[in-house]
Amino acid sequence: MTGIGKHLKNSFLTLLLILIWTLASGQQPSDTLRLKEVEVKASFTVDNMGFKRVRIDSTILTPRQDASLATILSQYSTIFIKSYGSNNLATPAFRGTTAHHTIVEWNGITINSPMLGQIDLTQLPVSQFQGIDILYGASGLSRTSGAFGGIIDLKTNPDWNNRILAGIAQTIASFNNYNTVVTAIVGNENIQSQTRFNIGTGKNDFPFYNDYSGQTEKLINGAFTQYGLSEDFFAKVKNRHLITARIWYNYSRREIPPLNTNINPDHAENQEDKSLRSLVEYKYIQRDLSVSVTSALLDDYLHYINDSLNAEHQYYSVINRIRVNYSPLRKVTIQPGLDLTHDWVNSDAYLVQKQRTVVGGFAELIYRPSPVFTLSVLARIELVDGELMPFIPAIGVECKPFRKINLSLSANLSKNYRYPSLNDLYWGTWGNPDLLPEISYGAEGGITWNWLDRSSAFFLETELTGYYTLLKDLIVWSPSNNSSSIWMPENVSEVAARGIEAGINTTLAYWKSNLDMNITYNFCKSTYQKENSPNGASIGNQLIYTPVHTMNASLKFEKKGYYASYIFNFIGRRYLGKENTAYMPGYNLSNIFFGKNFHLKDFILSLQVEINNLFDLDYQSIANRPMPGRNFAVTIRGSFKKSSD
Amino acid sequence: MGSETSVSRFIGKFSVLFFGVFIILISSCSKEPVRQTIPDPVPPPDDSATYANGFFIINEGNFNWGNASITFVENDTGIAYQQIFQQVNHRPLGDVAQSMKVMNDRGYIVVNNSNRVEVVDLGQFKTIKSIGGFNSPRYLEFIDSTKAYVTNLYKDICVLDLTTLTITKTIVTPEWTEGMISYSHYMFVTCIGRFSEPCSKRKAKLFIIDTRVDEIVDSIQTSTEPVGIVIDKKLKMWVLCSGGWDQYEHPFLLRINPDLRQVEKAFTIPGTGVPSRLNINPSGDTLYYLNGGIFQMAVSDADLPSQPLIPAGGHLFYGLAIHPGNGSIFATDAIDYVQDGMAFQFSSSNGALLRSWATGRIPSFFCFGEVRYRKSIE
Repeated sequence: MTGIGKHLKNSFLTLLLILIWTLASGQQPSDTLRLKEVEVKASFTVDNMGFKRVRIDSTILTPRQDASLATILSQYSTIFIKSYGSNNLATPAFRGTTAHHTIVEWNGITINSPMLGQIDLTQLPVSQFQGIDILYGASGLSRTSGAFGGIIDLKTNPDWNNRILAGIAQTIASFNNYNTVVTAIVGNENIQSQTRFNIGTGKNDFPFYNDYSGQTEKLINGAFTQYGLSEDFFAKVKNRHLITARIWYNYSRREIPPLNTNINPDHAENQEDKSLRSLVEYKYIQRDLSVSVTSALLDDYLHYINDSLNAEHQYYSVINRIRVNYSPLRKVTIQPGLDLTHDWVNSDAYLVQKQRTVVGGFAELIYRPSPVFTLSVLARIELVDGELMPFIPAIGVECKPFRKINLSLSANLSKNYRYPSLNDLYWGTWGNPDLLPEISYGAEGGITWNWLDRSSAFFLETELTGYYTLLKDLIVWSPSNNSSSIWMPENVSEVAARGIEAGINTTLAYWKSNLDMNITYNFCKSTYQKENSPNGASIGNQLIYTPVHTMNASLKFEKKGYYASYIFNFIGRRYLGKENTAYMPGYNLSNIFFGKNFHLKDFILSLQVEINNLFDLDYQSIANRPMPGRNFAVTIRGSFKKSSD
Repeated sequence: MGSETSVSRFIGKFSVLFFGVFIILISSCSKEPVRQTIPDPVPPPDDSATYANGFFIINEGNFNWGNASITFVENDTGIAYQQIFQQVNHRPLGDVAQSMKVMNDRGYIVVNNSNRVEVVDLGQFKTIKSIGGFNSPRYLEFIDSTKAYVTNLYKDICVLDLTTLTITKTIVTPEWTEGMISYSHYMFVTCIGRFSEPCSKRKAKLFIIDTRVDEIVDSIQTSTEPVGIVIDKKLKMWVLCSGGWDQYEHPFLLRINPDLRQVEKAFTIPGTGVPSRLNINPSGDTLYYLNGGIFQMAVSDADLPSQPLIPAGGHLFYGLAIHPGNGSIFATDAIDYVQDGMAFQFSSSNGALLRSWATGRIPSFFCFGEVRYRKSIE
């Protein structure tokens, strides 16, 4: 036990260095710090110093296996999630940009639809990955172009110390919603296999007060079925070669609930989604050189049905990535990379099949003249269907002025671009093949400080970041050619987004109990900078549905296997028009969950109760889209775990 | 170490205390329902005489946002009162308000995507009844003081009993019916074709309905997407065919003889636009339509006008109406659809701007109170 304890402490210190703040609770079955230790030391990372990134790890995700990515991000990150209702479309927006400027990755592979240029976060159940890396602003440039806001990377990594981890969790929730998660992770120090299965069904028929009809009604047409099966296979040879193969199939069929002003059972909307994502990756790891080659295939089908439209959209993407990390000198690291992506789209909305090829090259130079200072210079160049895109460079610096104080100052400057989505280019007869890429210019500076007291019983971390981003040539679908009925996408909008992100996290471990507190605040002023109509009055006004203020806070207490969490979210006022008059008032939501873990040798049995919207707030996140009042979920979870010592 | 530990304990306790106080403060906040809010709107007039002396602008609102609204403009003062339906009735008007008609001190607001006709008392604009059961309703036309037809995007035309405010009958089409004009005891109804089909497959026509028996008795084939219909002083009907929202074919302006039920003349509308909003002046001798700018044409002209009377000039003209009394031109600018719009009054003689008002989101339709359009020959 003492060996493990020492190990835990060492890992903890390592984690601090990369700004991961976690708690050595050891109570969550699938979380082992040793896993992270291995990962931290051996990870072939393209991390930049001077570029902000944040991690949401399995200590947060494990008790929330029934949730979707949308729920977790809205509760624990500063990313604004625009939600059309529970289990209905939810899209992310970082730093005053839009969903198109947020890229979601699955283990480093972009899974945004090339058609829409975005992805629905409700279709990404938390039970299918282990952790979330959030790369802010320019830090995404090392991965791909176009993530003006940032990148959300869903990660699953091997734990070579694991021998067997088998778990099953069943959740029963309000409004006839059920969720089952089965996990089987087996392996040895050279091979690991992770299998995950989840299935969720629900009627989602929550009651709400409908202002339009003046009565309390139950939500209609809100039922869903969603299931997923994934396998992650890892093999390593002599700590030099790592082979990874992953496959994830996700199926979803859902009814799309109507607006509360349009309740009419005869006009139901339905959507079916099938996604098959697979990748193979080979990594070669040496002391001063590592190489990784990844090849992924995405197969995505969407079927939308209402009483006048029955449309199918199918795309395939092949994504290939090569990354090299080479340190010719002790103070210098060079990280070149090559990307090749090809998309095929067969859509009822396109006149013919469309394809797109993107070839991208990038290189990053990291120079560490001293432990105090790190400089990173990065550049990316891409060809889209043979056409040269703008050159996008970034420069980041990080400074740690004190040897004994974990204080880091960082800053970066960047340029980025985003090529139009295939829908923008080819939708029906209105897609505009002449669209130019959108451009962003960003500047960012931040300060991070953390402190662990000598007894390792108290940890404090604070972070403050300021940013300014100018987005030019933004693509907007608008009436064109002086005709109200012809809508075309054009490069007409300009937005300036500036803001401040502040965070404070503490962990206390006393009296055989743990107390975590986490507060983040986000100020984001994102304004229209260009007006195309003589009667328009939008310049200087806040983007619609973009809150200026958001805040999250959570408090978690653990003792003797009992645990309880309180999660608080504040979402500020969101304007409903570019003239900034009508608005949705700011609101705050509280959620709690509590439970107990019973340990019986290698078995852990957990019982958990979740209460969402604790104070039963009658709210709408988007106008006329009802949201559920107070609701409950009960989860019973059993797991069996064996690790090597 | 000991002192450091006690310091950290203090900080830890302090932060927990801080957090606790914070939660209590937040939780004690107001529990008002979180709903769309309009800051400091001008209260709607409470004098029932006021609504008789002004006109309504119907703001369609964004599709699937539920933000349709009504603007009332008082003639004498020129004051525009916004959101009058919501302010008086304390509930949203609905999703996509399409049109409004007035008869016997009642206003009938057709709310397309909410599938309703809202009937309001024009005295205070209070709701009398919200009639459901339509199939994506578009326009309402009175047959007499007890009966009206409502065209639908799907399935049928609804026959409305104005006494009981119920749908008493449906005329199965089963296609998208749009504009209506009554002539003798017939209603001429433009039909665009099946909504779910592309323009290439839709069969556009004019239905002729015998209003005594509410049955389709005849039809006349038209060009693609007949969106508007008016009747002139010589009792000729004019039908504007947009050519299709996807520009399937050239737009046409058709002149139809309603007695012979034949297309007499077809003008090809030049250019690349999609024309809309056909109107006629009160004396029945001048046509107006939107095609980017606002076009004016005498019914006796041999050719279509090549230049607009009022060029768009950066405006996005979306709604158009001719005042049934003085014949002046009313138009709206939807701007970019994501902010509140504007409405304008222009002179019909020279197109000069006379007045303008702020409106709600996507202003599209005007309703000039009780004054009847010249649309039927008694």
